[in-house]
Amino acid sequence: MSLIIDVQQVSKRYGDKTALSNVEFSLEKGAPVALIGPNGAGKTTLFSLLCGYIQPSSGSISILGHAPGNSALFGRLSALPQDAQLDPRFTIATQLNFYARLQGMSNKLAKDDTIRVLEMVGLLDAVNSLPSELSHGMRKRATIAQALLGNPEIVMLDEATAGLDPANAREIRTIVAEHASEVNFILSSHDLSELERLCDQVLYLENGLLKQHQTLGNNDSARFITLRMKQNHPEIMPAILQIAGVNQVDITQDREYLLTISNEKAYINIEVDLLTVLAKNNWSYTQLINGKTLENQLF
Amino acid sequence: MNINLTRLSNIIIFEIVRLFKTKRGLLALLAFATIWFIILYYFVGSASAIVTSHSFESMAQKLFGALGLSALLEWPVAEYAIYWLVAIYFYPSFAILVCSDQFCSDKHRGTLRFITLRATRAELVLGRYLGQLLIIAILILLTSIATTILASVRDITLLSESILLGSKLSLEILIVVMPFIALMSLLNTFVNSSRLAIVAATLFFALGPLIVAFIEYQFGQKFYLNLLFPGEQISSVLSQSSVIASQYLLPLIQTTVLLITSHLIMKRTSL
Repeated sequence: MSLIIDVQQVSKRYGDKTALSNVEFSLEKGAPVALIGPNGAGKTTLFSLLCGYIQPSSGSISILGHAPGNSALFGRLSALPQDAQLDPRFTIATQLNFYARLQGMSNKLAKDDTIRVLEMVGLLDAVNSLPSELSHGMRKRATIAQALLGNPEIVMLDEATAGLDPANAREIRTIVAEHASEVNFILSSHDLSELERLCDQVLYLENGLLKQHQTLGNNDSARFITLRMKQNHPEIMPAILQIAGVNQVDITQDREYLLTISNEKAYINIEVDLLTVLAKNNWSYTQLINGKTLENQLF
Repeated sequence: MNINLTRLSNIIIFEIVRLFKTKRGLLALLAFATIWFIILYYFVGSASAIVTSHSFESMAQKLFGALGLSALLEWPVAEYAIYWLVAIYFYPSFAILVCSDQFCSDKHRGTLRFITLRATRAELVLGRYLGQLLIIAILILLTSIATTILASVRDITLLSESILLGSKLSLEILIVVMPFIALMSLLNTFVNSSRLAIVAATLFFALGPLIVAFIEYQFGQKFYLNLLFPGEQISSVLSQSSVIASQYLLPLIQTTVLLITSHLIMKRTSL
């Protein structure tokens, strides 16, 4: 596996405020990576450092073997920076065409590629519109389209689906899922279930510190099942605990239970027993998740 | 400094597109055309008649002579005397207004974040500068051609001389304008809007000489700080009496220094 991003001891300070402190991680080619953390954790700062918009106060960053902002990365790394807007005076097509040409495409190729990416984000009707004529969500999709121009190897999307309606957010997720095999996506979002669906790895930032860097999925001796119920049933916990193989039941949220299952082979079909118990008692559930939710893993 | 010529030319071409394809650019062009119509029609057209008419010759001699411009009266194409007088002051001020937004609003809006993923900051600064310079060059050339036409309509024998003089003056005006555009490029690295850039330029030219005078007064010696100001040489090139290379060297050096400073600042700027 080849290293695509290598971040060594990176810190970023704004005056006496430390936005990032000794962040260190490396990413390999592969499935999308989620960058998460509360507001002000330093996610956007990290994105900006990776894109070369800002310089680290200390430490070093290498992307595909080059420093961020190096011309060798043009066309290979693309991004949707948070809050960046297109020029309101030019049509979407004019600007995307310009970006494509900067990436080294011929005039004809740039035009075709502009149409291709706008079609991907469902904006073909808005090709000749000015950004000011579009809604917030459409402008966002236009900026996502800009990140898809050409054949980037790394695409960083900062809050790509924030502010999009559910249908369009789903479209974007589909684009990420469809291209995940050839493009390395790095996504930040507050929608944990979205990241959970798309990403294999998680970088969790808090107060400028990288708290966790892990691969999603089962790794320990025990396995987990998350159960969400339609209604509260006080007697459900003892009932579940009686199922052979269930070692522990925790209430993680209202009507949500986390079952810790023994990893022994005999309990591989424990879901069947669980559903039988639910059916017997006439308790209806809303969701049964194999493993912990991302939220439960992090918080 | 990492500069790729294809990307640079793409940035320059986009600046030309900006002028001819956006409402703001077209409005600026319209204003420019109106002003120059007035200048050409009322001043260049009729003032040359004044210069050439015998009854006003002595008065013009006195006036131009008093300004130290008597050399201009010896030009065979009188239209260009007026054109030169107007253009050498008009274009620098016009450049301050028109080139006030080279990348400051793009920086403020975040548009530069899209561009810097595809072009180096050096290409951006230089490309935007050259784009503006090309626009001003086109406009200078257009007004110069108009002046040539005006002179030739009056006397067709002046055509070849007009073309020669016109090309020489166009180039000279362009060299005069160059550091002004570079100054706006530098100011763009600090400010967030074109309006602020214009205010900053006004303050630079209004307060700058006062500060220089104060410093020189305090220390009791000359530091030649006035050489920092674009247009410093205008009064000496205006009379066209003693054209020496050094007068054109200053604006070229100023331009280079201003552009390198802009680049060094932009290189470290957070986008």
